[in-house]
Amino acid sequence: MAPKAMTFKANSVIYFKGDISDKIYILKSGKVSMNSEDIETGQEVRDLIQTGEFFGVKSALGKYPREESAVVLSDAEVIQFTVPEFEQFVAQNTRVIMKMLKVFSNQLRRIHARVSSLLVTEEKTDPESGLFGIGQYYLNKKMYAQALYVFRRYLTYYPSGKFAREAANNIAIAEQYAQKYGQGKGPEIGSAAPLPEKHSVGPTPAATRAELSDVAKVYYNGVSLFGQNKFQEALEEFKKVAEQKEDEEYSAKALFEIGRCLFQLKQYDGAIRQFSGLIQKYPKLPDLPEALYYIGQCYEQKGEADRALGFYKKIIAMTTEADPVQRKVKKALRALEEKSK
Amino acid sequence: MNLNLAAFERFAVRFQKGDIIFVEYEPGDSFYLIQSGRVQISKIMGNIEKTLDILYPGEIFGEMAILEEAPRSANAIALDNVKALEFNRANFEILMRGNPAIALKLLKLFTKRIYDQRRRFMILTLDDIQARVMDVFLMLAETDTGGQQEGEKREFKTTIDDIAHWAGLPTEKCREIINHFMNQRRIEVLPDRIIVKNLNEFARFVNSRRKNLAT
Repeated sequence: MAPKAMTFKANSVIYFKGDISDKIYILKSGKVSMNSEDIETGQEVRDLIQTGEFFGVKSALGKYPREESAVVLSDAEVIQFTVPEFEQFVAQNTRVIMKMLKVFSNQLRRIHARVSSLLVTEEKTDPESGLFGIGQYYLNKKMYAQALYVFRRYLTYYPSGKFAREAANNIAIAEQYAQKYGQGKGPEIGSAAPLPEKHSVGPTPAATRAELSDVAKVYYNGVSLFGQNKFQEALEEFKKVAEQKEDEEYSAKALFEIGRCLFQLKQYDGAIRQFSGLIQKYPKLPDLPEALYYIGQCYEQKGEADRALGFYKKIIAMTTEADPVQRKVKKALRALEEKSK
Repeated sequence: MNLNLAAFERFAVRFQKGDIIFVEYEPGDSFYLIQSGRVQISKIMGNIEKTLDILYPGEIFGEMAILEEAPRSANAIALDNVKALEFNRANFEILMRGNPAIALKLLKLFTKRIYDQRRRFMILTLDDIQARVMDVFLMLAETDTGGQQEGEKREFKTTIDDIAHWAGLPTEKCREIINHFMNQRRIEVLPDRIIVKNLNEFARFVNSRRKNLAT
């Protein structure tokens, strides 16, 4: 079978609205009008087909009822394709498909706009609030990995957006809960979730909910940058926080974050100095095992497996099995053993 | 389908099982062709994450990004380890020229999207909200590709939340209407499905409420 040339007399109809058919046509000569009713107003709409234009494509490809009647206004020559013939034809004429894609995408955009204009009952959510809301959903469902993804994306798109502070705070919560309790576990997170006690060097819930101090703003900007993998910029922010004297809570936290930045920037000697200095300054640091873990990791990266091993063993001795740091250390130990085999 | 994709290896991206590929409201500037693994398309509605579709290798998602950098309309999550080709408007034409099969697939996808949106629009233009709810069932019957169900009584694997979404009604309002239908014994609501006793009767009612559309 091949595409078939056909002629139609004026006032005849090539197909009727509502027909189901797998035929696609191209107009060679004459005048053909597409008659349909506007789906909103019911008013009749007439569109003339241009010479060389395909018609009946969507309904044939999708096996849907024709949305319009194809009425011949003056004697017309058309070529009729079955769907397989059409597919074969356009496969050799990608330009034709591209053109149709553009037409269809336009139609789709228009119908989309019309649908959304009718959806008055559905709350219109602006993308910024919508994105943040999805993060909140995942955080409430204890899906920390997903929540982290969304909040980090939020901060990438809206670094100084209206929820930037909350997003940064939620990143901290999600990271800590993921580590402490694991994916899918942990206490309920209310709308004003307090940070876990263990991380008392961090900002207290009251501090995060009230208007943030300037120091806190810089700190959270650093957290936000870190979340976007902009470690160098994050480092600069944390350094500012660490140098200030008015709020020691934040400066202690920032010293830790500086270490993490240096580690990410592969400045292992600097990171080791940073964490060692922190431990000396705050021997009772709640994050001590975590800091030691980073030091171990740094040595490992430097190829000094023996020294890393020493730190890992120390952590095992000072933590319990329930401690997520211990799980991480055990994993690191296993990896080291594998390597030495 | 004869796909010549070896040349597109440089567009390959990989996701681990469970990874988010994108979420609703993110700005979208790329679309994906799945090469291996499955992708779940979902949307967060109220307090549940609803699966809209599960896509398999050879399928395309995120295609609305070709049109404009509109925000994503749903979440895409890797259900397995997924390998996909990632395209944007810049390299889209190159892909299409070398691969009419993909272009054709995209064309069909748009066809379906336009049809679905038009159908949805038809529901929303009904002023009578009872007719709207009924029309949602008619739409679901039309798109039910199983096709084994015939006759007046039909079963739908759907929920009141779903119906409310399609009808563009608040869930509570929709529940009210459905309860009303239940009292009239026109409908039965079970935990996993809804049974419509006489779909033809729904069709007649909806047609009588469609304004201006003279037969």
